[in-house]
Amino acid sequence: MNVGIVVLAITGLLAIGLYALLVARNLIKVFVALQILVKGAMLAMLAAGQIAGKAQVGESMALTVIVADTIVAVVGLALAVQLRRHFGTLDVRAFSTLKR
Amino acid sequence: MVPILIALIIGLPWLGALLVWLAGDRRPGLQHGLAAGFAAAAGAAALALLLVYRQGGSLTFAMGPAFGEFSFAPDGLGIFLSIIAAVVGALAVVFSVDYMRGSPQLGRYYAMVLFFIGAMAGLVLTTNLLLMFFFWEITALCSYALISFYNDDPKAVAGGMKALIMTQLGGVGLLLGAALSYAYLGSFDLAVFLAQAGGLPADVLQVLAFGFLAAAAAKSAQFPFQTWLPDAMEAPTPVSALIHAATMVNAGVYLLARFYPAFAGVPYWRESVMLVGVLSALLAAMMALVAVDLKRVLAYSTVSQLGYMVYAVGAGGVFASQFHLLSHSLFKALLFLAAGAVIHSLGTRDMREMGDVRRVMPITRTVFVIGAAALAGLPFLNGFWSKELVLEAGLKHGPLWMYAAMLFTAGLTALYTFRCVWMVFYGPPKERQHAHEAGRWMRAALYPLAFGALTTWLLAGPFSTLLGETLPFHEIHPEPTQAFLIEVLAAPATWLALGVVALGLLAWQLRAHLALISEPLQDLGRLAGASFGFEALNRLIVRSVQSAAEDLRGLQTGLLNWNILGIVAALVIVLLVAALGA
Repeated sequence: MNVGIVVLAITGLLAIGLYALLVARNLIKVFVALQILVKGAMLAMLAAGQIAGKAQVGESMALTVIVADTIVAVVGLALAVQLRRHFGTLDVRAFSTLKR
Repeated sequence: MVPILIALIIGLPWLGALLVWLAGDRRPGLQHGLAAGFAAAAGAAALALLLVYRQGGSLTFAMGPAFGEFSFAPDGLGIFLSIIAAVVGALAVVFSVDYMRGSPQLGRYYAMVLFFIGAMAGLVLTTNLLLMFFFWEITALCSYALISFYNDDPKAVAGGMKALIMTQLGGVGLLLGAALSYAYLGSFDLAVFLAQAGGLPADVLQVLAFGFLAAAAAKSAQFPFQTWLPDAMEAPTPVSALIHAATMVNAGVYLLARFYPAFAGVPYWRESVMLVGVLSALLAAMMALVAVDLKRVLAYSTVSQLGYMVYAVGAGGVFASQFHLLSHSLFKALLFLAAGAVIHSLGTRDMREMGDVRRVMPITRTVFVIGAAALAGLPFLNGFWSKELVLEAGLKHGPLWMYAAMLFTAGLTALYTFRCVWMVFYGPPKERQHAHEAGRWMRAALYPLAFGALTTWLLAGPFSTLLGETLPFHEIHPEPTQAFLIEVLAAPATWLALGVVALGLLAWQLRAHLALISEPLQDLGRLAGASFGFEALNRLIVRSVQSAAEDLRGLQTGLLNWNILGIVAALVIVLLVAALGA
């Protein structure tokens, strides 16, 4: 395993995810960005497990995150549908109504 | 046997709390019965622990490597304070049967009181610092919930919040102690901590020592946190007797006494502890002198007496402080419950509206006077012996000016105590409609406490044996009771203190002739009435926190992208600090 490539992949995924979260205004895009970010974190866990010689710990952590991540995606998309019906838009700037 | 009893002392009240709540508010009779039964059973279990503690043994729950073991073991401090919690708790619950009769939401009241009794016993019996923190916070939570029991009264709600926030500040000190102990010693165990505290880095030990002092001061309503206790008097009176006089407020003194061997060597720690005690005792006594609310007078006197205990711990008199704690929890619970009977009967807490109550409530008058005499330190009640031991410890190991201040406070104590007795029970009679003597259950709780105030000084010997045998780090030397009595009676300090107490009483008798002295003191009285500016300081802090929150409101944009930007910025800062620091 080439550690350099893996670290590059992790950093790339995290950077893309964060950048997308920073600029995305469509809620669906926000979820996509979140998914990319979490994939980067998962890859980091797997790599850390490999490097520390405890591959199974890293893998089981990653599995747990996959489950949690799926639930987040499902609930989030369901919310997105409701928000679209309520506000008529998916622009995140329209959702800051608690502030007012 | 010991593990079973420990489980019973903590478990019975908690089970009772659950059952009272399940019984529901439509069956108040069942609720009264359940609460009194479970509290009494816990009290009996606590007393039984005294008989069998020599068998040793402890109750342990293995919690895996992260938290150490959750263990409970009986030692002198734990046994004695759990007995106070369970027995005074049982008496307060019995008193409540009359006091709270017909009150709505009894389930909430009894559940919280019983939950508190179990948590207080757990707090003093556990040997695990982390668990101690949990129990510490549970007691704070129960205290908050019970102060705000009459939750349609804004004053009660505000008092509860104030108590919660202030004791919370102290809890942080204890949590810090637990975390640092784990970080440096790899254990939450008290015995490990006391044995190896000397090996800690000096600055860490210093942080711990002063963190625990802050925790104790907040919990025991000591200077500069003393303002929450008087406002806590909005609670039902049995709660004031149990939580804000006999048990929870002692947790701070317990903490200091428990860790005294570890911190005694820290520079300026002992002096700071003594100073906190002296300031609390003196300022609170002055405030008690001008207060007109019966319960607030008692609350100030609690702060003042707790100041004596803290002072004694600072002077190295751990035994004296614990002995005074025993005396104080009995006579102050007695005073509060008797005051509760008066308040219940007259329907007011203002002493100016009382007067000549002895005619209607002779029994209550008798027990109140017993408690007041013990508080004033009159011979030969329990308060006399323990206060003399405290003063003696202070004279031997503390600076002279602090001793003088405490001596002066003893005189003030006698003065405000008898002002209170006179205003309530003697004095000119006032018009009132529905006064009546204390009820049957109230008297059932008052008699044992009055008996205790009269006799517990005879236990000095066995008490010192109990503490000396089970606390290997405290260097308490067991002595027979006679030795203590002779020691106290032979000390010139005792007669000096008695003289000051007599002067205090004389000052009250001759108050009309002392106008020449009291005129210039009017300003001081006004200052004491305004709690020496501490209330204003509290209000200032609350206001500035509120306005700061209002100013920071602009930062909450509600926009996702801004929040992400904040997260990224924080991450960059953390990485930069980590890179520069390493």
